[in-house]
Amino acid sequence: MLVDLTVNGRNVDLDVSSGETLLTSLRNRLQLIGTKEACVEGECGACTVLLDGKPVDSCIYSTAASAGSRVTTVEGLRGPDGELSPLQQAFIDHFAVQCGFCTPGLLVTLSALLASNPDPDRAEIHQAVSGNLCRCTGYVQILEAVETVVREARR
Amino acid sequence: MTTEIGRSAIRSDAVAKTTGAAVFGTDVALPGMLHGRLLRSPVPAGRIVELDLGRVGEAPGVHAVTCAADLPERRSGLVLMDAPLFAGEFVRFEGEPIAAVVAETREQADLALAKAVLRIDEIPAVTDLEEAVAPDAPLVHPEWESFGTPPGMDWPRSGNVVAESVADPDGVVEAFERAAHVVEDRFEAGRQYQAYMEPRMAVAEFDGQRFTIHVAHQFPYNIRDRVAAALGLSPSDIRVVGHHIGGGFGAKLDTGLESYAALLARQVGRPVRLANDRQEDLLTCQCRDNAVIRIRTAVAADGAMLARDVDVLMDSGAHATDIPFLASIPMHVFGSLYRVGPVRIRTRAVYTNTAPTGAFRGVNGTHLYFALERHMDHIANELGIDRREYRLASLQSDGAELPTGQVLEDAGILSEAFEAVEQIAPWAELGRGPNRGVGIAACMWLTNPMPGSATLKLNSDGTLGVLTAATENGSGAIATGVRQIAAAEFGLPVESVVVSMPDTDAAAFDAGSQGSRTTHIVGRAIQEAAVQVRDRILETAAVLLEAAVEDLELIDGTVGVVGAPTSRIPLADVAVAAQAAGGPITGSGSYTTPMPPVNPTCATGMLFPAFPTPTYHVHVAEVELDPVTGGIRVLRYLVAQEVGRAINPEAVRGQIQGGVAQGLGYALWENLRIVDGRYLQRTLETYGLPLSIDIPEVEIALLEHPDPAGPYGAKGVAEPPIIPVAAAIGNAVADALGTSVDEVPITAERVLEAIVRPT
Repeated sequence: MLVDLTVNGRNVDLDVSSGETLLTSLRNRLQLIGTKEACVEGECGACTVLLDGKPVDSCIYSTAASAGSRVTTVEGLRGPDGELSPLQQAFIDHFAVQCGFCTPGLLVTLSALLASNPDPDRAEIHQAVSGNLCRCTGYVQILEAVETVVREARR
Repeated sequence: MTTEIGRSAIRSDAVAKTTGAAVFGTDVALPGMLHGRLLRSPVPAGRIVELDLGRVGEAPGVHAVTCAADLPERRSGLVLMDAPLFAGEFVRFEGEPIAAVVAETREQADLALAKAVLRIDEIPAVTDLEEAVAPDAPLVHPEWESFGTPPGMDWPRSGNVVAESVADPDGVVEAFERAAHVVEDRFEAGRQYQAYMEPRMAVAEFDGQRFTIHVAHQFPYNIRDRVAAALGLSPSDIRVVGHHIGGGFGAKLDTGLESYAALLARQVGRPVRLANDRQEDLLTCQCRDNAVIRIRTAVAADGAMLARDVDVLMDSGAHATDIPFLASIPMHVFGSLYRVGPVRIRTRAVYTNTAPTGAFRGVNGTHLYFALERHMDHIANELGIDRREYRLASLQSDGAELPTGQVLEDAGILSEAFEAVEQIAPWAELGRGPNRGVGIAACMWLTNPMPGSATLKLNSDGTLGVLTAATENGSGAIATGVRQIAAAEFGLPVESVVVSMPDTDAAAFDAGSQGSRTTHIVGRAIQEAAVQVRDRILETAAVLLEAAVEDLELIDGTVGVVGAPTSRIPLADVAVAAQAAGGPITGSGSYTTPMPPVNPTCATGMLFPAFPTPTYHVHVAEVELDPVTGGIRVLRYLVAQEVGRAINPEAVRGQIQGGVAQGLGYALWENLRIVDGRYLQRTLETYGLPLSIDIPEVEIALLEHPDPAGPYGAKGVAEPPIIPVAAAIGNAVADALGTSVDEVPITAERVLEAIVRPT
């Protein structure tokens, strides 16, 4: 079936089977490898993308069901001139990245949080990332990165 | 000169990893690449009575199918040649490969494998460690005696016991006879799955003569050697190329899918990719070994420990992997922290019909220290002495001798570590209130001494290239640590140092990212290489600046004459001049830590004889239990850690925070129960990894006693933070409960059982 999507601001037409996941379409058809495959059971959040601004696990979301939607992947988080978003920069500055495999999913999830709630408290951040596993960092430097962005935005 | 040391320099891979540009192993795609999948045993033990792959080979898209019958009979392994590529007549664990197929797509490969005809007569699985060592136990490998070992290397093994280490010093029996108290415990620890976010993978290509294998692996040289052994090749027939690693934690040190990818690539003449799905990754991962530990201590009336008797059973699973090395570790643990007199230790690693176990950050240290430190609490409680006070009164000091004969010159750091956590939060003020408890635990741990190397090249733009086969597993050792060391050697900013990705054709041997060794070993190798490079820089610059070599200094990317600010020349100019004059400036260095002296007759089977470059650690946990659900909440977590010198403080903090988080998972939630040889938990969801809400911010005191042999004093950092966590948590939960806790993980179910258990 033919599916029409907007991915990171670009219109794309995909000819997919009804069962193909959005993750497969992004990685194998559009070569957007930043979105990671880690569990394919909707448990770890490494494959998170935004669908019309809302985080979804692309590993268990069908491409067909995303027809007509706006999809944002980690590759779409940079600014119009290619500059890093404040959240990306904060992840770098705060050592919120170790192995980096969960990082795209966390960045996408947290970008959605900050877009809908620019001033989250720590409990709200915990809630937002409750579907994202990170095995390396123990999470604290990730939380600090988000809180730095929030603080800077308040000024 | 050393401005880059002790600064939280930004990781070189951070931009690529935050923009999605970083290519991990799983992202590698080659032109013409096909997809392999493995047919795996659905049962833990049995005899294959029928295997018909005819319809698999005829399925759409299939290029080839292979199994044991197509290959010469060959077993291989890290230290014991006991692992076949494919099960032959018998399967020995759930998930053991039986056949492989390669097809145009992964889906076609899976559909083809569904057409395999496989009948297995099941055999009762050997899974219980104590039953496995009973005299009449059925054998996992009846042919165990035929398994080869590397030349000159052997150790006691027999039947299901794949490795045994025994120390039986004089005086133990007498000490127990004259003891006022004998304190005895039995502890059990479950398996822990490394649960790295990137499942294991491999992509192999064969050009008619040589193989190239693309990996995201902690130890590329081991892959080269292990694939060669598995396929009967020479190691130099194989080139291993490393890509970004989505976590490893020890599980990506041994070989996984690489030999299958190489075998299939040779068979079909096209690149072949294999990648585990999450469930087969979990089912076949070399998890941290489960164990049963019995420990008994003879204690005098005044509280002095007179002697100890320890019996350790470790589960090796169906193959030896690196477990025979780990059978030595109890000798480094049970006499390490506190004065105890002679220690009798028997450690047996045991074959079972379960997935082979192996290395996970801190290896068996997590359960050995759980046993030691829970036992210390038991002794203190028996004596009616405060648990911290009893430890302080028993602490080893400088010059302490381990049961191996190794002398710990700096064991006095332990008492500083106890004081450092006391400074963060006084012991007496923690764990107060209903359902609250506090626990304290210490550990001594090594910095892995295995060899590494680095080659430096001064580029014509004045930047420095570092070529090494060492790997960046996420810790930052390559992305920050060794770059900072290299930068400091030449007065360069860290941004001017580029470290290669690993490639076994290009860089000399490196023993992989294990045991906190990378910054220490590769950093030191860089320093060795820097001597040659600096000499050539100075010789060249001396001519250009018309100055004596002794008057020159390297600073801010230039060479200058000391005291003459106008007389300086950029390193780029030096590099260009040197290249024209005598050829490009390069230098190479190698390093391996000299082993400290030990008593070679202290025990049998000591494949891992010493604990070089020791570090010392104290952890304190404060917990609150929910008496209704049995759930444990960690209120505060304190760490005092000896690091030698923190090359990058924020990266060190990340290792401690992340290591403690993995330790909390091990202690409380992560559960792989084995029932009839099969894991009960078979998905990430049921396995129980910690979430951000579960993990407190660790409060850290770094101790820095620089190691004279380490680069700028650095010792190992990343492994120890996970080790005493289960011990500290176990002690805290027992304190809150007012009863003993003898098993990890301390799940809510076990807490509730403890609450209702009659005391």
